[in-house]
Amino acid sequence: MKKTAIYQRKRPDSPRWLNKWIQSLPWFFGFVLAVFGCLVIFVVNATTGRIHPGNAWGLGYGIGATVALVAVLLYTVRRRTMKLRPPGRAWTYLQVHVYGGGIFLLLMLMHTGFRIPSGIHTWWLWLISLWVVGSGVLGIVIQKWIPTVLSAGLAVEVHYDRVPELIEHIRTRSEKIVASADERLREFYESRVAPSLVAPEPRLMYFIDITGGIHARIKPFEYLRALLPASDQESLDELKELFNTKLEIDAHYTLQRVLRTWLILHVPISMVLVVLLFIHIFSVLYY
Amino acid sequence: MESGSTTDHSVTMIKRKKLFEDRWSSFGSHAGLTGLSEMLSPAELREIDIFKEYDDSFLQTISPDVSIAQWKADVVLFEEGSFLDLAFYVLDGEVGVAIKMHEESLNAIPTFDAQRTVYASDPRSFQVPQEGVAATILQTRMTARETSKDPQITFLASMDFNLPLGSTIVLKKGDLFGEIGALNGWPQSATAHTTSACKLVQIRVPALREMKKASGAFKEKIDQIYRERTLFEQLKTSPVFRGSGDAFLESLTEKVELLSFSPGDVITKQGDRVDALYMVRSGFLKIFERLGEADVAVNYLSKGMTIGEVELLLPDIDTWLSSTTSVGYSELVRIERDTFHDIIREHPLVEKRLWDSAVAQMKESGFTRKNLDKSELIEFSLQKGLVQGNSILVIDLDVCTRCDDCVRGCADTHGGRPRFVREGDTFDHFLIARSCYHCDDPVCLVGCPTGAIGRAGVGEVVAIDDGLCIGCGTCATKCPYDAIVMHDTGDTWGDDALPERLRGRPQKVASKCDLCYTSDDGPACVNNCPHSCAFRIGSIQDFQSLLSTEKAEA
Repeated sequence: MKKTAIYQRKRPDSPRWLNKWIQSLPWFFGFVLAVFGCLVIFVVNATTGRIHPGNAWGLGYGIGATVALVAVLLYTVRRRTMKLRPPGRAWTYLQVHVYGGGIFLLLMLMHTGFRIPSGIHTWWLWLISLWVVGSGVLGIVIQKWIPTVLSAGLAVEVHYDRVPELIEHIRTRSEKIVASADERLREFYESRVAPSLVAPEPRLMYFIDITGGIHARIKPFEYLRALLPASDQESLDELKELFNTKLEIDAHYTLQRVLRTWLILHVPISMVLVVLLFIHIFSVLYY
Repeated sequence: MESGSTTDHSVTMIKRKKLFEDRWSSFGSHAGLTGLSEMLSPAELREIDIFKEYDDSFLQTISPDVSIAQWKADVVLFEEGSFLDLAFYVLDGEVGVAIKMHEESLNAIPTFDAQRTVYASDPRSFQVPQEGVAATILQTRMTARETSKDPQITFLASMDFNLPLGSTIVLKKGDLFGEIGALNGWPQSATAHTTSACKLVQIRVPALREMKKASGAFKEKIDQIYRERTLFEQLKTSPVFRGSGDAFLESLTEKVELLSFSPGDVITKQGDRVDALYMVRSGFLKIFERLGEADVAVNYLSKGMTIGEVELLLPDIDTWLSSTTSVGYSELVRIERDTFHDIIREHPLVEKRLWDSAVAQMKESGFTRKNLDKSELIEFSLQKGLVQGNSILVIDLDVCTRCDDCVRGCADTHGGRPRFVREGDTFDHFLIARSCYHCDDPVCLVGCPTGAIGRAGVGEVVAIDDGLCIGCGTCATKCPYDAIVMHDTGDTWGDDALPERLRGRPQKVASKCDLCYTSDDGPACVNNCPHSCAFRIGSIQDFQSLLSTEKAEA
């Protein structure tokens, strides 16, 4: 009856240098194969018939693109319905989401014959499709890049939603430390540290060098050290440690905010895409 | 959990009954329980043979962890593989014990099934064995009982003995069973079943530990039974003594000393004279060496592993090369230096294996001394309790996009209340999330006043029954890894709430990871991670191999 409670990670099956970007080679090769297949079909279409969204070929591409989009949307649906315990792992849905998005764009372009549509509605549909897939690719890049930067350069790990609470905690502890400290340490705290302990401070610097800014801002603590009596050295160390943590929290806040906000570029427009596509299908069927 | 203000008295009484029943059944279900005593006074306890030698103040201390339960006939008390945090002492009636008796019915039960107290399919299948070890044991017991006017207490240690497959022995008044499994955190190796209506004293682990500490005679009795039944089997299956012959092993069980250690106790000290070989029965030991000005953890030992062979085998080494401390509670077997030398003189196979073990240990220690990151991992794992863990949630921060789908998935699976926090200690680029490790020796189980927290009966899973939790926070305080969180439900206990001390107080509930054991899909945190960066490891060896793989690939 004893069950070993291990739920192993799905290890990337691609080489290490590649697995940051491509976790699963079968999925990747499946995608490449699908793209190649679509292009072959398009070439056959171009050589044997007319490229037009309204003929059988064109409608086929359109239907294919719609199916791909529906598959892509399953990831969103799964995220919204976790209570219902949807089948399969979220990882699989994400693979469908990412690679399916690429297939959708290709089929959509094939549907329009790789040309910009002339009608206003279809023009918007075409443009928004490009936007959604483009922002999705941007999201992939962000999601691959930022976690590595955060884990490689920072010692603390922070929950984004708890940032204000943690800063408040740091401020309270810092004030307790300086309350009984030397006048010079208190002045230093008031002028150099306290202003930073009010709220998270996002800085562009963290995008360039996740640690560079922090080291420079910690330096004044060492300049102050020589001026303080031995009894306050420990307080200075504690304060320095807290300030360092605060700066690392700022770095987390800056980068994690990007991890969250890029979705604004992607999700709402995706919803518009679905609505426009629905209208497009309805109008094609109706008229 | 219903608020007292909205429930009538009868409902509260039903709840209280359920509450107390579950406290002692520990299996989540209590289909066979017909009655359960409330807290027993020292005088009442002293009427029971097993408590006779203890004084009033001691009995007062342990009484919250002792109760008398009445069970119907033909009820399975526990099955093979169950983790119990209590031992049973038969006051009245008979209990049948068998190995693999209900193999078919066990197989029919889904792996994730909290229902552990089930009726036996055919109680008549319990047959008294006519020959073999079981028959000998039974005969010995019956003779002892018949020849004594004042029946002695007999013990059945954790059911870990040579009981032939399919046969049954019957335990009667004065028998204690399940204590070794409970004390060591081992799963039971047999199924126990009431063959008649029974009255059983149920003693939880804290009380058992205290009883063992307070009475040399009680400890001696438990150790003696352990020697006779369990130790023989353990030695027989240990890597060092396997295949050494029953006669030799039987003689060895008489020569060894059984030791118990508390957290932090020093077992060996570097530089002291080597006195014995130690073998771990349960728990964990940390081995460290003085390197320069610092103590460096070079290895750790778990069940079945030995220490001392290097020093005892190598000539000209008379002192311990390393120090050893107990990480938590641990039980050890000690084999005297002279006995050790006798063994290796007479048993070349054992000597060869000990040499192999010594060489492996020296290699390991040498490797760790040269690769201090491994020492760091050992230290980290011992400090943070990873060595205890059976299922540790690890998040790869190199991949994690902090989307929190793991937490959201957990919350959605558990009525909107997440069972872990995506925070914790980091090692390398891995976050050890603050989620229950499902420890080998879960200290959170100790002291729960309602028995709401317990082994869920499915492997190592430790779970809390929300319906029984009164939000006292004992488990959360006991958990050394901050893996249990107290949630405020927003309600207050009503005027008819039981126990009475709850009335008018804010209603809280303890919450912890239950590994989603009722789901076939496994833990929601792992299942809902879209980047496959949340996963579970079962031991630090898993973690070590993960780190080694990463290093090699890099």
